[in-house]
Amino acid sequence: MKSFKNILLLFLFVLIHVSCNNSSSKKAIDDLVIYQCPMKCEVDKTYNHTGSCPICKMDLKSIAKPSDKIVDSDEISDESIFNLTTTWNTEEKETIVLEDLKGKTLVIVMIYTTCKAACPRLVADMRNIEAKIPKDKLNNLQFVLVSIDPDTDTSKRLKAFAIENEMDGEQWTFLQGTEASVREFANVLAVKYKEISPMDFSHSNIISVFNSGGELMHQQEGLGVDNKETVSKILELI
Amino acid sequence: MKQLNYAIYMMMVITLFTTSCKDNIQDASGSTADISASREMVAELTSPPNVPRSVGRRKAKKLIVNMEILEEEGTMTDGTTYNYWTFGGSVPGSFIRTRVGDEVEFTLSNHPDNKLPHNIDLHAVTGPGGGATSSFVAPGHEKKFNFKTLNPGLYVYHCATAPVGMHIANGMYGLILVEPEGGLPQVDKEYYIMQGDFYTKGENGDPGLQAFDMRKAVDEDADYVVFNGSVGALTGDNAITANVGETVRLYVGNGGPNLVSSFHVIGEIFDKVHVEGGSTINENVQTTLIPAGGASIVEFRVDVPGTFIIVDHSIFRAFNKGALGMLKVSGEENKDIYSGVVQEGIYHPEGGGIQEMPEDDKPVEAPKEAKTLAEKMESGKQIYMNTCFACHQAEGQGIPNAFPPLAKSDYLNADVNRAISIILKGKTGEITVNGAKYNSVMTRQAISNSDIADVLTYVYNSWGNNKTNVTTSQVDQVKSGH
Amino acid sequence: MKSILRLTICLLFFWITNANCQSKMATIKGGSYIPLYGRDSLQVTIADFQMDVFPVTNKEYLKFVNDYPKWKRSQVKKLFAEGNYLIDWKSDIELGDSQSLQAPITNVSWFAANDYCKCQNKRLATIDEWEYVAMANKELPDARKLENYNAYILSWYEKPKTFNNDIGSTFKNYWNVYDLHGLVWEWTSDFNSVLISGESRKDVDNDSNLFCGSAAIGATDLMNYAAFMRYAIRGSLKAKYTMRNLGFRCVKDIIKKNEEF
Repeated sequence: MKSFKNILLLFLFVLIHVSCNNSSSKKAIDDLVIYQCPMKCEVDKTYNHTGSCPICKMDLKSIAKPSDKIVDSDEISDESIFNLTTTWNTEEKETIVLEDLKGKTLVIVMIYTTCKAACPRLVADMRNIEAKIPKDKLNNLQFVLVSIDPDTDTSKRLKAFAIENEMDGEQWTFLQGTEASVREFANVLAVKYKEISPMDFSHSNIISVFNSGGELMHQQEGLGVDNKETVSKILELI
Repeated sequence: MKQLNYAIYMMMVITLFTTSCKDNIQDASGSTADISASREMVAELTSPPNVPRSVGRRKAKKLIVNMEILEEEGTMTDGTTYNYWTFGGSVPGSFIRTRVGDEVEFTLSNHPDNKLPHNIDLHAVTGPGGGATSSFVAPGHEKKFNFKTLNPGLYVYHCATAPVGMHIANGMYGLILVEPEGGLPQVDKEYYIMQGDFYTKGENGDPGLQAFDMRKAVDEDADYVVFNGSVGALTGDNAITANVGETVRLYVGNGGPNLVSSFHVIGEIFDKVHVEGGSTINENVQTTLIPAGGASIVEFRVDVPGTFIIVDHSIFRAFNKGALGMLKVSGEENKDIYSGVVQEGIYHPEGGGIQEMPEDDKPVEAPKEAKTLAEKMESGKQIYMNTCFACHQAEGQGIPNAFPPLAKSDYLNADVNRAISIILKGKTGEITVNGAKYNSVMTRQAISNSDIADVLTYVYNSWGNNKTNVTTSQVDQVKSGH
Repeated sequence: MKSILRLTICLLFFWITNANCQSKMATIKGGSYIPLYGRDSLQVTIADFQMDVFPVTNKEYLKFVNDYPKWKRSQVKKLFAEGNYLIDWKSDIELGDSQSLQAPITNVSWFAANDYCKCQNKRLATIDEWEYVAMANKELPDARKLENYNAYILSWYEKPKTFNNDIGSTFKNYWNVYDLHGLVWEWTSDFNSVLISGESRKDVDNDSNLFCGSAAIGATDLMNYAAFMRYAIRGSLKAKYTMRNLGFRCVKDIIKKNEEF
């Protein structure tokens, strides 16, 4: 009798300790935290687990994701585009300031609707990027297309363009500004453009990725460029 | 016992076999793009004519190169200055020494005092623009890009910002060496020489700060063709040196922007020439072509002492535009290889006429008031450096067996009027100066009488001569009378 | 009594001259011309406008940062100005030791220049407007064909440290405007319309992958090296950059109805 109780006690004792509370909670924390070599031997490479750097053999140190910090506080950092206070009209005829887009990762490009040459390709590039993002993550992403030609591209025109190009979903936003605000915005993105005839603009083809705090994280220049880096950067942020 | 011996013997054979195979396999695998770079190293950048140490047997590394661009005024020749745009503060720019397979991290910084944006195109880079697209940088900013050296050889680098010709013509070029695995074979002395052509608003020798002349550059009408950015950069005290018996290697580049160089060292033959800086080696070459925007590596052994003149053998560039440098070799003579004059005697030629120098169109008016001795010395020194220096040398020492010395010269000090008439009319035939015989030709010099007075005053008051002050009227007398 | 009257008159004079502390402006009559980097139709038409006679000085900018503290060096947002902003000033409100009050302000970004002009109810000039006024020499409104005009500009490019000179130290041109050449480079409102990639050997070819738009990216006159370099500088800048050799001036549109100017 006594021995049976002892065995039972022992069994329970062992059971309690075997059940994985420690390791699972550790695992959960690990998922949220990312690790990097403190000497940045591999530059920007990060890991989801502890370990040691393959180059210098130092222990990986945990670093917080930059986006975590911003979303929680109401502060906009010095580098955020939300510091621009100009107003914009969307294709839904709403008037917003850029700060209204805070909270989602932003992929921004500058185009104009009467463009025949590169803009369709730029739009296709944007769509290619969208296709590579898993459907469940799309909620955290906002594709913003800003018009270089605010005189022609009114809200109505932008809406028509959106429907024409099958970009009428929630995740696509088109913005119309004023000549001055567009020039200012282009300068923040380092996008160059020039009106070369009443209906035509020459402009650099750049897709920019911003984190949810409005800080510029990545730029992809050119058309039909391999968007692997852009996509991986977006996935990191959302 | 026998078993043991046998076992050891077998082991040796096996290890020998396997290690030799491994080498072959390693060589056969992969191109230079697959060479992996291990740790980091900051590149040692040197100013001409020096080069950094050889890479030796080191492995490919991550090489950090920091290059700064400075726009600053410098001396082109005595009395003439020019605004140079430089890499690393020198023309040509700093020498970069790498090994094949190095991963170079290149940072180009544009000093904030500069006016213009610049970039860099290194011919050693495999990639768009040679790096120019990724290094376009405004003053007060810097840009970094990485590249891997895939091909060994000697390569030019230069600025590629529009207008490219102007940036190169102002001195923005240099050399980057990519050594093969194990480095180039060892030599005793290595030097860095780069030829360039310069185009100025004024003519060759015009004093003051000279501006760049675009029209002349487009017409390829150079005013100065020089080694290492200025006249006299490799002469006199700046000459490169070696000792008898040493092997000398010259890394020679041609920044252009326009002219091709016919590179020759007077009195030496190149034992080895890496044709166009590549892997083909030519031997026993007298003069080698270096294309604009190209380079060459020449190697030779110096066997006798003396001053060996380095020239672009398009010869007017050497003597009239400054493409002249010197290699001074010291050590024991070797009469078997070169004996100097063995014997001389009388001979009655018919020719030996005196040539004339081209005359200036505009007559230079002599100033009416008398100059002080100090003024004459200064003016005389400039005239000397422009006109007489090439033959009679900076300290009046002349060149043995070629041009008589003017320093402590008994021939000169004996007769002032004779000296004046030599400058006015030229001289041919044998003369004895300080016990040595000279039999050469000096052309008449087309300079004004007051200039003759100034330069002779300078010569007589330098280097231990008899301190005569020659006046313009003396020169006038000799010219009209006699 | 008399002395009080004299005093009042003196004070009145003083007040009038100081009330006009806005910098002097010159009226530029509009016209057409072909700029170096233009549009497909080549000719560009400029309307009448007014331009500052001098570039903005250290003194004027000092007043600006005192009035608008968000542009003080310690408070400016990194989005709008990079690390070199006013780097040579000793403190937020003190100039550097070697700088004079009447020298042009430099080391300011495009955002700062833009805001300064806006606060004065003016704006930055467009490239076309700036170049239109700059092509004049002392006598002619268009001196681009003259060799000595180009030679003067090219020789300035080689002169070091002109940013320390006072305003007005170069020449007064046909429009009574000073210092467009010979002092500092100047910001323009649309400097980012110069579409060169920085790889100048390629810029003669239209790289349609980098820039959308097929027309008129090439330069119209390749011998105009003086203008070429200005475009090269503009092409190398980003709006938040600051440079020791880069300042600015403002312009104002002329509203035809008001005849007070």
